[in-house]
Amino acid sequence: MASLTARDLRLGYGDRIVVDGLSLDLGDAGVTAIIGPNGCGKSTLLRALGRLLKPHAGRVLLDGDDIAKVPTREVAKRLAILPQAPQAPEGLTVADLVTRGRHPHQSWYRQWSSSDEGAVADALAKTGLLELADRPLDELSGGQRQRAWISMALAQDTGLLLLDEPTTFLDLAHQIEVLELIRRLHADHGRTVVMVLHDLNLAARYADRLVAMRDGRVAASGAPAEVLTVELLAEVFGLDAKIITDPVSGGPLVVPLGGARSATARPPDGS
Amino acid sequence: MRSPIPRTAPAGSVRTGGVSLTVRVARVSFRVRPRPITVALAGLGLLALLMALSVGRGDFPIGVGDVFRTLLGGEENRFVVMELRLPRALTGALVGAALGLSGAIAQAVARNPLASPDVLGVTSGASVAVVLVMITGGGYGGVSGLIATLGVPFAGLAGGLVAGIGVYLLAWRHGLDGYRLVLVGIGVTSIAANVKWWLLTIGDVDQASRAMVWITGSLNGRGWEHVRPVALALMLLIPLTLLGAHKLEALRLGDDSARGLGLRVDLARSLLVLAAVALAAVATASAGPVEFVALAAPQIALRLCGSTRPPLVGSLVVGAVLTVGADLIARTAFGGVELPVGVVTAVLGAPFLIYLLVRSRRKAT
Repeated sequence: MASLTARDLRLGYGDRIVVDGLSLDLGDAGVTAIIGPNGCGKSTLLRALGRLLKPHAGRVLLDGDDIAKVPTREVAKRLAILPQAPQAPEGLTVADLVTRGRHPHQSWYRQWSSSDEGAVADALAKTGLLELADRPLDELSGGQRQRAWISMALAQDTGLLLLDEPTTFLDLAHQIEVLELIRRLHADHGRTVVMVLHDLNLAARYADRLVAMRDGRVAASGAPAEVLTVELLAEVFGLDAKIITDPVSGGPLVVPLGGARSATARPPDGS
Repeated sequence: MRSPIPRTAPAGSVRTGGVSLTVRVARVSFRVRPRPITVALAGLGLLALLMALSVGRGDFPIGVGDVFRTLLGGEENRFVVMELRLPRALTGALVGAALGLSGAIAQAVARNPLASPDVLGVTSGASVAVVLVMITGGGYGGVSGLIATLGVPFAGLAGGLVAGIGVYLLAWRHGLDGYRLVLVGIGVTSIAANVKWWLLTIGDVDQASRAMVWITGSLNGRGWEHVRPVALALMLLIPLTLLGAHKLEALRLGDDSARGLGLRVDLARSLLVLAAVALAAVATASAGPVEFVALAAPQIALRLCGSTRPPLVGSLVVGAVLTVGADLIARTAFGGVELPVGVVTAVLGAPFLIYLLVRSRRKAT
């Protein structure tokens, strides 16, 4: 089982420190969703976990090894990271893109081995893209395109998948399509997934574990029902909300009070 | 459970070049697409024909058949073919190949069809350095024999490298953005152009007019001493570049994705750009700035091969064909007047550049 641990991370861009003194253990957690308000440092944290961002201080341990000291190619065989809204060159087909996922396993003389071929076919099948393999990405729907990128990460054949907002720019139906796929990747194929998500209710529904961040630190972490409390939502998001039971999943469902608060939350005073 | 991948594209899918063949011997494995190979072979055939035509042209015309006979060992016209005319055709082919390959790498790395050594300052940097050497007394038939043969190519090489690397460093800001690279390149190119004109203005008239011929890009009077350095540089740079080609595939997905795939992005890109700059600088050093070949060849090869990025081998072959073809036109189309090859490539290339600009603007909006 792949393990990923952050130790006393300080992250930032230039002089601007976004995350300071953050420690987190992400081993064996199934699907983890990192949630938090805009600018809380969740994407920054994910980038550091995937060694796209070098920490100012602290370490990221991948299976116990300092990720900065493991050759990046070796890291790529154990951990796949999908950046937010990735861009493919014009005209690239789904199969071409998924084939790129084999890069860490290839070299100049070994460019298309039978294990490459198998892994690509496997990744296409798991994401339901075999039919679309020869279609250019720019002709696909947003959900299909996102599935293609996830398929590329799958072809990397890693135990760990880091996804930065895999549902951005997708409508609700496509968000569900992508999240169902992510759920299956863990349930059926044993991948450990860490993703940044914006939508609290979808995070609660599809993740085994939530990590709530605020101002570059972890405010709470644990099962969705433990993390999503009225107090935490007020503290982390500054949001007045009611938590009810999701009639479908039985998990927590966040109902923001917002402007409706005056009508429902305040007891009627009779006047 | 792994299902076999459909290796051949269904009918109607042309974007990826359709069919591909897998070659596997022991631990070596490749996937080959027949269309780029066909394009490369056809291009080489056309190149041989154009070179033979070019060798045959001159005050003493020789038929294409006779040219091939002489090249294959015939004694007839041996001196004219081997010593006087073949070096020119070879220089043209090699220079074109280097420019085509250089452009293909630059365009693929920058993810921008406008990125080519012409735009990225390499050719203009080389021009400034060469003009400086010529004006200050080097040049052909100048003060010393050593400077005459080594000075100009060396100045071209050094100027091209300095300008190309300078543009790359100036464009760097937490990574490389294709448009930023092109914009910085255009800026540096125009500064270099003005320095060049200034040097020509203050220089001696004779020197300046010789320099003018050089900075238009000419294959006139090229001998084996011009062929050897380009050939040597290409023998070194082409294999190195082709070995790094599979890194281009990952690089084209953007920095973050490429890093995620385990590519040392900055190192790979720097080496590839360095190779592109070196190729263009070597080419410019030996023939002067033959404009637009590096810009047009990769885009033409891309369309011929039906691929999603400029094909390296295809661009190399197309570059050679374009340059030798343009030289042939320059020498034959205007009666007794022989134009420098750079004039022809510029006249043909400028509309192509406009086409690319119009096309990329449409895509952006």
